[in-house]
Amino acid sequence: MNRTIGDARIRVPSRIQQGEIIPVSAIVQHPMDTGFFRSADGQSIPAYFIKDVTVTYAGRQVAHFMWTSGISRDPIVTFTLVADREGPLSMRWVDNKGAAFEQTAQIAFSTT
Amino acid sequence: MPRVPEGPPRRQFLKQGLAIGLVVAAGQSLRPAQLLSASAGPDPEVPNEQVAKILKDLFGGRPIRRGQVLLDMPVVAEDGRVVPVIIEAPDLPMTADNYVKAVHLIVDHNPDPYLAAFDVTPAMGKLSLQFRIKMKRTTWVRAIAETSTGEVWADYARVNVSLNGCG
Repeated sequence: MNRTIGDARIRVPSRIQQGEIIPVSAIVQHPMDTGFFRSADGQSIPAYFIKDVTVTYAGRQVAHFMWTSGISRDPIVTFTLVADREGPLSMRWVDNKGAAFEQTAQIAFSTT
Repeated sequence: MPRVPEGPPRRQFLKQGLAIGLVVAAGQSLRPAQLLSASAGPDPEVPNEQVAKILKDLFGGRPIRRGQVLLDMPVVAEDGRVVPVIIEAPDLPMTADNYVKAVHLIVDHNPDPYLAAFDVTPAMGKLSLQFRIKMKRTTWVRAIAETSTGEVWADYARVNVSLNGCG
């Protein structure tokens, strides 16, 4: 498996009607180390986790999540969104070492 | 549906089907009743010192009422490293002048009890969040929502943890 820290995916429904409340699911690859565990050779594994998530839809911030290492490894989150206009839905995950990871999905309306 | 073992007696098979049907029916009829009742289950334990301080810092002296918020978690979590959480508030408005502005998740007996906070906006249409958390041991979990009008609503779940997920 080829997994890199920070790889992220956002899933939105394939068919969206304007004004509909849609589910949005997102996953980011991250170890979410608590700092309480030790490796096999006895070295303590330092805390390393996503602490901040922002969700921006068509240029407006719609949600902001503050996490700790108590969120499970490879964090998933599902939330809802009022799909009232077409545009990018972007998410940005920032970890406690300051690295930022981003992903974008397009919100577009079905024509039929 | 559970897999039927090889050659079960017909009666046992029918009983299982009936039992599952009853559980499903009970589940469907319970949910609306829970929405209506102010208190959906047993009260959580009195907050320990650490949790009491978190609650005081977040809400000051505002009353934390039980209701409106629904916290769904497994009764038994086999693996404390991955415990699913669903938080919803189907009856709280999400309009420009009255909306849920934040949801806080507190796990009483975790090393860091204030596990997560979610700032939300009316652009989300409703409050519905799903994610997965780590739990150290059996404890109460508190999901507390704060509205733009200053109301504080909570729901609680006691989760039995088999395998420590926090180290």
